[in-house]
Amino acid sequence: MAVPEHPFATKATALHKQESAIRVFLRAATYFILCCAAFIFLDIFLKGAPVVFQANFPFVNFDFLTKSPETLVVYQDGEGEIQQQSANQFEAMREAHPDGQYDIIGSYSYSAGGVLGPLIGTAFLVMICMTVALSIGVASAIFLSEYSRGGRTIRGIRLAILNLAGVPSIVFGLFGLGFFCYAVPNIVAEPAGRSLFHFQLPFSNSYLSLEGWDACMLAGGCTLALMILPVIITACEESLRAVPMGFREGSLALGATKWQTIRKAVLPYAFPGILTASILGITRVAGETAPIMFTAAVAHKDKLPWQDLESSGLGRLFEFFFQKVQALPYHIYTVAAKIPQSDYNKPMQYGSVFIFMMLVFAFASFSILLRIQFRKKLKW
Amino acid sequence: MNAPEPNPFTKKRDRIQILGLNRESMLKYFFGGNASLAIVVLSLICIFLAKEALQFFPSHHRGLQLYRLSGQEFVDYLEDESRQHKKAAGYLARAYYGEINASSKREQGLLVAYEELSERLERETSKEALLFNTTFENLLDLQFEIEDSESEEDGAESFDIEAAKAEVTALTTRLEERRRTLRERKTDALKDPGMRELDSPISLSETEFQNIAEAIITTDPDAEDDAPHIQELNRTIDDKKAAAEAEYQDLFTQLEAFRAAGRPLDELIGPLRDHARTTKERAVAAETLRKGKEALLAGAENARDPERRAEFLADAEAIELEEVPYDELNQIFYDNIDAHHAVTSQMMRDLEQLGSQVVASGQTTIAQTNLSRFREELPELLTMLGETNDKLKAWRHDTPFPFLPSVLAFFTGKDWVTNSSWHDFYGFLPLFTGSILISLIALIVTVPFSVGAAIYVNQIAGWREQNLIKPVVEFIQAIPSIVLGFFGIAVLGTTLREVSQLEWLAWVPGFPMQERLNVLNAGLLLAFMAIPTVFTLAEDALNNVPRSFTEGSLALGATKVQTILRIVVPGALSGIIAAILLGFGRIIGETMVVLLVAGGSISLPDFSEGIGVITQPVHTMTGIIAQETGEVDQGSIHYRALFLLGMVLFSISLLINYSAQKIVFKYQLAR
Repeated sequence: MAVPEHPFATKATALHKQESAIRVFLRAATYFILCCAAFIFLDIFLKGAPVVFQANFPFVNFDFLTKSPETLVVYQDGEGEIQQQSANQFEAMREAHPDGQYDIIGSYSYSAGGVLGPLIGTAFLVMICMTVALSIGVASAIFLSEYSRGGRTIRGIRLAILNLAGVPSIVFGLFGLGFFCYAVPNIVAEPAGRSLFHFQLPFSNSYLSLEGWDACMLAGGCTLALMILPVIITACEESLRAVPMGFREGSLALGATKWQTIRKAVLPYAFPGILTASILGITRVAGETAPIMFTAAVAHKDKLPWQDLESSGLGRLFEFFFQKVQALPYHIYTVAAKIPQSDYNKPMQYGSVFIFMMLVFAFASFSILLRIQFRKKLKW
Repeated sequence: MNAPEPNPFTKKRDRIQILGLNRESMLKYFFGGNASLAIVVLSLICIFLAKEALQFFPSHHRGLQLYRLSGQEFVDYLEDESRQHKKAAGYLARAYYGEINASSKREQGLLVAYEELSERLERETSKEALLFNTTFENLLDLQFEIEDSESEEDGAESFDIEAAKAEVTALTTRLEERRRTLRERKTDALKDPGMRELDSPISLSETEFQNIAEAIITTDPDAEDDAPHIQELNRTIDDKKAAAEAEYQDLFTQLEAFRAAGRPLDELIGPLRDHARTTKERAVAAETLRKGKEALLAGAENARDPERRAEFLADAEAIELEEVPYDELNQIFYDNIDAHHAVTSQMMRDLEQLGSQVVASGQTTIAQTNLSRFREELPELLTMLGETNDKLKAWRHDTPFPFLPSVLAFFTGKDWVTNSSWHDFYGFLPLFTGSILISLIALIVTVPFSVGAAIYVNQIAGWREQNLIKPVVEFIQAIPSIVLGFFGIAVLGTTLREVSQLEWLAWVPGFPMQERLNVLNAGLLLAFMAIPTVFTLAEDALNNVPRSFTEGSLALGATKVQTILRIVVPGALSGIIAAILLGFGRIIGETMVVLLVAGGSISLPDFSEGIGVITQPVHTMTGIIAQETGEVDQGSIHYRALFLLGMVLFSISLLINYSAQKIVFKYQLAR
């Protein structure tokens, strides 16, 4: 006898099939993205970690973190073993044992040593950038959220911010080159030919000339600051607006002035939001290559920024900020694309990329954790 | 008496007042000033880009004028003919050599495999080989010395021949020993199964591999000849080729005749080209002199010191300006028009005759495709040869180049040639095409994934899944573009090429890929890069659809998926489209990935393969700016051309932003 069909059983109609197919597609799309991300992370981690860490004590390859990039020499010694050494060590060794046999197989620029120079350079660029961007950004956000009452100007400002956010980073690079490197005022002994306008300063031999700062740390930092500005302004404004209206009203009702209200009753509560936004901003700025390519970065540099400054006093400060620096993203660009590729560059490439990713992720996770923490704590 | 108490409610005036502003309003203006910096920055970007970019057109125009005046334009008409002729000849040659090589394909493949394998083994056994070589060299030196001392009969006292001969015996034994070790080491290395995975186009059978391995093992570093097996292979190849050459004798004669037909044209072009180049160099030199004189005169005007001024003036006086006699110099071109006509009409007759003789179809696929291409190119060449003479007759070196076409020449130019010794061409099309191709690929790939993921996360996923996915997307956003570019070079490029070489994927257009770095590679990476932008904005848009819409739909009995597809997505459509547009803006402005991964070939991609164009290398607007800006002089025409590209990019990004805002605003859901 046939089993009677359960009257309420849902039938697998075409509709159901379609339904589950769409669900599966959406889920697959989502998890495919996650898999891609995981694959990239894993690849970089597996190939990069061995460069930075090692199996025996002290487990971290400190040379990679405390040296600047050098040329790598690969040679075959008298016993037929293939050896690798940085150019400096190789020269020192050759002087110590002049009669040894060294068949140089090849030398590879920037592939030995470590990433200290680029790391420091990026740190300074980020510091300059964040100082400029935060001071302008917070002030603008305060105006937009606390003072503005709508109207044409405000609409214009918002439109400008929105559009600025969409400008490609390479265009910022070009602008930085044309503006900061070739057009902003600078005090010089002799105006350059490109100077747009210049006059002699009173009581001195120097000229004030609109000829720019040339490619330097300061120009790069400012270019980055302009690029990140819309992000910072938007994020700061959001966190200012998140502070409940009651705080302001209460403060004003107690007789505080507007500025006192902002300083004591709004900014402290918006601070966590501003902090997370700026940390996220740091991760973005640190990773940008295009804006600093012609405004600040240099591939080769022996000294750290503060070493071997010639002038004294105030001039020292100028000299410090008006020098080109190495930067981690530019260094990666150099070792990945500008020099001939071989197996001997691989450790440097993966090592730098690994360090860079670790830094960026440390900052990104820090900001995400901070946000979760503050959300738990601040509830109104 | 007590002083009258001050009224407690009087408002204290601020003590600090500047320009009638007290502290509060000063603060307000300070903040306002900071906020309006956004406008200032945007306008500064506009001004500084436009300042350089707009100056490009006059300099470009001057360049084109000179191009015409110096007769380079005339020569390039002839060059075009010659180039077209060489192109057709190239197809014919490829067809011929395709046939010849096809006869010994297997043997050539074996040779390639042999070379690859021995190279690999050399790397594996470098240590043993070095030891062997050292001994071998020592032995040779010693033998040489013995011979030397034997020939100089009288001076043999200082050299002990007997001891040396004993040494030679010892060395010979050691050499043999080392030869054995080396061979053993090679045999061992060959046992590694990885050695059988070769890049060579053919797969080896077991005997073939053994034969090759045998040949490699027995070829020591001191061997003078190849192993017998390899010699035999080479002989076979030569024999087969000779046989094939005999078979295709006709085609070869035709090819030679075809090439020979173009020779008179090349001979005509040679001196003309040199002449035009000299004229141009002369013009440039004259221009430099004129500028130098002007600068000196300007310097004299500004100099305060009368002595300096006199010096400047004297220097300026000393410069003699040269008027370049263009009419005279260009006469040679007009004189040669008839010669050109004679050459080309002869060429046309020859080629037409040859074209009809060439066989219709080849035997191998290479020959077939190349012959059909040859048939396509030939009529084009013939029309070109016919038309050029009229063009030359109409050409006048002194007709000024109109300004508007010089502007159009930038936007429709197909060449971007800089730092050349002939003429620098600034053509926008190849770069723009590259950018657009890559962006389209990226967009097509990224939209289903990111919008799908946004719908999934917003509508279907539980909060646990959301808490996993959203931070990951934020991490993806944090990946620096240079890292992705590096990943494209180091991993994705190789992987893609390997995948494209799989035989069952050969039907995909453009597969197998010729280049590791190409449009597809860059497009995939940019698609990954755009995911966070599109995902976040699309999810926001979905979030903004009122809850009541969903509830109403569900209450009417619609299923979850029906609700999503018919209610939620249409409701959020404007936001989703805006998200896609902004993603497009992000993609087209991205620099480092395309600079590293797009392949860097500045020519219009070949669209004849249809969609297979995606496996070709290109260059992009952003990439070229990043690559070349560092190396050009400020104020040169090249520098300005790059700024013009920047200006175009800037306008595109503004346009995209503007339309995204319009769409969101116009199709907003009524609440």
